[in-house]
Amino acid sequence: MARVGVDVGGTNTDLVLEADHGVYFHKVASTPQDQSEGVIKGLSELCEQAQVKPDEIELIVHGTTVATNITLEHNGAEVGMITTRNFRDILHIGRHKRPHNFSLHFDVPWQSRALVKRRNRIPVTERIMPPTGEVETPLNENEVLEAVALFKKRGIESVVIGFLFSFLNDSHERQARAIVEQEMPGVFVCTSSDVANVLREYERFSTAAMNAFVGPSTSFYLSNLQGKLSSEGFRANLRVMQSNGSISTIEASSRRAVNMLMSGPAGGVIGGKSEGLWSGSENMITVDIGGTSADISTIPGGQIKIMNARDSYISGHPILVPMIDLVTIGAGGGSIAYVDSAGGFHVGPRSAGADPGPACYGLGGEEPTVTDAQVVLGRLDADKMLGGDLLLDEELARRAVENKIARPLGVSVTDAALGVIKVINSNMALAIRSNSVARGVDPREFSLMPFGGAGPLHGVALAEAVSAKNVIVPVAPGITAAMGLLQTDMQYEHARSLIRSLSEVSADTIERMNTLVSDLVAECRKDLENDGVPVARQQFQRIAECRYHGQGFELRADIPEGEVTQANMPNIVTGFHAQHRLDYGYAFEDGEVELITIRVIGMERVTPLKVSSLDEAGGSTVEDALLYHRETVFDDGRAVQTPRYDRDRLRAGHTLTGPSIVIQHNSTILIPPGYVAHTGVFGNLTIERSN
Amino acid sequence: MAADELDPITLQVISGALDTIAEEMGHILYRMSFSSIIRESQDLGAGLFDTDFNTLCESESTPLHIGSLPGYLYGIQESLQGGVWNEGDVVLHNHPYFGASHSPDLAIVIPCFYQDQLVGFAANTAHHLDIGAATPGLIIDIPDVYAEGMLFAGTKLYEKGVRNQALWEFLGRNSRAAKQLQSDIEAQIASAKLGVRRFVELMERYGKDTILAATGQLMDYTERILRQKIDKIPDGEYRAEGYLDDDGKNRDVRLPIKVCVRVQGDSIEIDLTGSSDQVETGFNVPFEGSTKVACFCAIRSLLLDAETSEIQVPSNEGSFRPIKVIAPKGSIYNPEFPAAAEARFTQVNRVIDLIYKALAPVLPDQIIAGSSASLSFVSYSGVRPSGDYWVFLEVNEGAYGGRPLSDGPDSIDNLMANTRNNPLEDLAMHLPMICDRYELRDDVLPGAGRFRGGIGVVKSQRVLTDGFITHENERHHDVPWGIFGGWPGTTGKVEIYNVDAPDDIQQMPAKFSGLKIKAGEVHAFYAPCGGGYGDPLERPASQVLEDVLDDFCTVEHAKAAYGVVVDLAAERVNDAATESLRAQMRSQPAGTLSESHDRSSEKVALNEARLAIPETTQRPAPGRTSTAVETAVSRVSQSRDSTIESLREAFGEAWSFDVVYYTSRRGFAEVRGELRANGTYASETGIDEDPSASSIGARLQAAADQSLFKCAQKVLRDN
Repeated sequence: MARVGVDVGGTNTDLVLEADHGVYFHKVASTPQDQSEGVIKGLSELCEQAQVKPDEIELIVHGTTVATNITLEHNGAEVGMITTRNFRDILHIGRHKRPHNFSLHFDVPWQSRALVKRRNRIPVTERIMPPTGEVETPLNENEVLEAVALFKKRGIESVVIGFLFSFLNDSHERQARAIVEQEMPGVFVCTSSDVANVLREYERFSTAAMNAFVGPSTSFYLSNLQGKLSSEGFRANLRVMQSNGSISTIEASSRRAVNMLMSGPAGGVIGGKSEGLWSGSENMITVDIGGTSADISTIPGGQIKIMNARDSYISGHPILVPMIDLVTIGAGGGSIAYVDSAGGFHVGPRSAGADPGPACYGLGGEEPTVTDAQVVLGRLDADKMLGGDLLLDEELARRAVENKIARPLGVSVTDAALGVIKVINSNMALAIRSNSVARGVDPREFSLMPFGGAGPLHGVALAEAVSAKNVIVPVAPGITAAMGLLQTDMQYEHARSLIRSLSEVSADTIERMNTLVSDLVAECRKDLENDGVPVARQQFQRIAECRYHGQGFELRADIPEGEVTQANMPNIVTGFHAQHRLDYGYAFEDGEVELITIRVIGMERVTPLKVSSLDEAGGSTVEDALLYHRETVFDDGRAVQTPRYDRDRLRAGHTLTGPSIVIQHNSTILIPPGYVAHTGVFGNLTIERSN
Repeated sequence: MAADELDPITLQVISGALDTIAEEMGHILYRMSFSSIIRESQDLGAGLFDTDFNTLCESESTPLHIGSLPGYLYGIQESLQGGVWNEGDVVLHNHPYFGASHSPDLAIVIPCFYQDQLVGFAANTAHHLDIGAATPGLIIDIPDVYAEGMLFAGTKLYEKGVRNQALWEFLGRNSRAAKQLQSDIEAQIASAKLGVRRFVELMERYGKDTILAATGQLMDYTERILRQKIDKIPDGEYRAEGYLDDDGKNRDVRLPIKVCVRVQGDSIEIDLTGSSDQVETGFNVPFEGSTKVACFCAIRSLLLDAETSEIQVPSNEGSFRPIKVIAPKGSIYNPEFPAAAEARFTQVNRVIDLIYKALAPVLPDQIIAGSSASLSFVSYSGVRPSGDYWVFLEVNEGAYGGRPLSDGPDSIDNLMANTRNNPLEDLAMHLPMICDRYELRDDVLPGAGRFRGGIGVVKSQRVLTDGFITHENERHHDVPWGIFGGWPGTTGKVEIYNVDAPDDIQQMPAKFSGLKIKAGEVHAFYAPCGGGYGDPLERPASQVLEDVLDDFCTVEHAKAAYGVVVDLAAERVNDAATESLRAQMRSQPAGTLSESHDRSSEKVALNEARLAIPETTQRPAPGRTSTAVETAVSRVSQSRDSTIESLREAFGEAWSFDVVYYTSRRGFAEVRGELRANGTYASETGIDEDPSASSIGARLQAAADQSLFKCAQKVLRDN
């Protein structure tokens, strides 16, 4: 039996296959017009390579940017919305804050690229009143029918229903939904309370509207992929990576496409986490460096962090679904370096992309990029990119750096190239800080894990800049994300608002909490059972999202095991104070703590990926892996004849002394002077300062 | 490169580090704070400053806070308790005559010491719910600055690390929202302490001299970029004018705003001479902390537009250096002590708008048409059964004018305002208020144009306990301007009614103070709409169709303003009819409204139409029989004179008629007027489409007359 992870990126589709007889990697070009083509091609080739028959694969886990791309290209479904009368423009007004303080020509994405056009946002008469959720005005069903008639006339493919205060009482949303389902069979329908059953109308509506916007195309893609797989003889369960780092079924993902908007980068974080655990490190900072951007995440104690829902935006729209806490910055191999008219020096966020790409690609690019600087400094060998499949032109790289940076700044080409690297590293280091130090995490207790093909060239410099403990380079930095797909859990989340003071808890509040928790556990259990997860492997995490009364932002505290009682209630409050202190460096111990949302996460633990260990070094020495020496410039500006080693020939226990460079098919690792790298049992490299 | 100059690479690294510190400070402050005006609206600012009070970095929160802190620091220098900074001091400061932006924006300032030497300051400001002023939350109609509430100047809340307990308890006893006040101050202190820590870490890492050299160079860099941009504007004096509704007390005294922008080489002077004298209420603007900051904001948004500039310049003092601001002492933009100056936002937002109008001839591709350019800032408050006050401050959004390449955004914070609204559901779960309506206005249309103006919002908030409302707001009279053939926008309005009698509407002035309201009463705010940019006939017909389908425009307006004939049932443009209508509109004889957009004839007509008669005598109307009413009504549609006669008969001099909105173009004029008489109010639109009328002025006059007739009929019937 075998399992496969398939990660579709902008340029490449990466695959990992784990069979009883070993782990196999493969990479094919992505097929952006229909990602499933690349997936099928890659799978077939990989099966051949691993000598595995398609029907021997029992599980395929898929990380895909298909939903994300719909938001980026804004080519989702034509959505109709039924909403509360007098509140037609909640989605148009948003939070009424401009994206820039100082701008007259700014874009307003929620107006210029609306998820639902105003003509299709139809208000109907109904009203539910706070704080109890009582019905003040019943839903006018005739108006719903009129809206449906208009939707039909306009060929609407997807309908979202969003009423005010539906988090208190969802009866009107359900009633309207039933009418739409009856009148428009086959159309994609969702309600706001179903997608994100929490307080805050704009964010809830936006999340549900996004679900309706990306839902139809995403579910079409997934069912199409499944169809192709079965016609190719694959009988595996197809699972999809979710934004929160869990996996889910095709059916659930089609219903909740909004949960897979961060499917792409999530795999990398999971992969980083498990590679860290193999190397014995629980505290990881993962840095996934691609061509145009870098994704940065902090993993304390082996636990992936979930972003505060208030910070989760996709293409300018707030999305209230749990997502892995990561920051993305415009810094990658293709980031362009330039000097502005007032003499300021910048690297990124503009990127040369794949076309024309860095100057050294020889595709007509004349602006110097980070990759060009690496080539100029002799850190990236022009004849070794992708095992020599992609030949780089060193002279073009040098010319670009000279013309656009060295001359305007009056410095040498080498200093200019060093400057490019220094600034891009500084930008990344600041983003790491904002995701770690700024959240109360001390990087000195963390290992930094760089991946993506270009990651390991920056690892040591970044670790130095943020004072991380050491650097761990994963086994296959170019496909860490695909490997992550085989390391994740099946997971479902359900949440409901319950706004109560926790400082003086009434018996009624405790009863409500217990009822809600058991309801939510039952909902998660049902989802897991639908996926065939046996009871013995089901686990549930129960969370109270709280804030100090009067504050606007919630933090998470664990709900104790078993029933909530007067006796264990203080644990929730204490847990909240502790989280507040961790995040903000301060807690109001006397403050009144208010419960806002109860959330339950139900999950199934998946068997972790088994990576084979390397042969022990035995009698071999590192010199057996030596390729050749070339000149390389390090951060202090010195050019040193530096040995290149072949990573495939390194054995467990081999130690490399800096300066040296390790080359493998999809990556290059830089070990500067003053550092040593130890090869671990799985082939992972730990780089640290030599004593 | 001079010997003592840092290389651009180190500079870039330090610049990034400073930005991150400012963002972190702002983040902690709004995440930790309690009152919604800080946590949701993010009405705050935070940053680091050197010992000469130069800004080293500042958080990207709201623009009026950005740039105001140096003023506070200068004010603290003049007033510092004991005259000396010690390590562990925490200073509280809000005195508008000692550099503060306005009194509710309390600053917390903590000195940074490095190796026992004062090297700078970490500081922040945040808008507080209530500082014990004459009325809850906001204030307008007050006699002097002392009625604004607690004033602190250079006051040490902590001295050498020890909190002044007497002061702390004093704060707790002198605010209607004492708990929020104290908790929010604690959040401010946490934010400033973090700033100090990060500043010191930065010094430890790079050395003090490097950091100070870098910050100096970063300011020079920002200044250099801005000067390059200014240098490209032709030298000259550019002027624009507008007026404010009133000072919140003297209802019919309009207040002139005069803006002159002098460009000389790479410097700009903004001269507000000629604007209104200071007023007797709190509707004045502190010069250092608000007038200057607004002018800086105007120029930065125009010339260093974050959307269109490739380079994001560092936020620091350098962006202020090329700009000089002049406002004579004793004027509304530079009041003399002890004038009150709490309600100061809308006046400066209007200055920004007029700076763009002034520069329109030389920067046509950068400026935008007239925006709402006011600010609606409402304080709702009441007393709970427990006897405690509840206070809620709400910033309502405005709308932008049309832009050279895109429509003006709808219902969004305008120009210098940039806050977040409060989730309606969160509000209703925590306060005795409920929102009855929140959507785009549908009672008026924005200015037509190649790019239309933005549409204002209507927000109706109902209170569930008895209480008070104070509303700082503007723009019920001066219409947002259209440009380059674009039509003017629309003024705003404010209504109050009981939820059980929604048709019994009381029209309110834009601003009012401490209005008592009863449970069940609704305060409905209608924001002004932006003016249009460019000729509406140049807007693609397909785009006009989209607007009609989305209800941004009506079928009638599409025809009248854009010359586009829409078949609504088929949801498509009638191309043939549109082509011929547009051809006809384009070929209107020149002189009715020339391309140069000479509006002098309009002005004459409208001055005649503005029949404002001061409400000096508020005497009750004489009792009249229904037949008398009908006689009076029938007479009004005959002529202006007979209408005025009817109104005089009914109300004496206690009535007034104002034109609040007008648009005109070839063959078409539309005027909306407001008639107020004896507590009743009518606002009606008059349209004149008579192609034979000889001039646009005559056509406007006819439209204004129609508006007057309609209003008069309504008012006479209602009385």
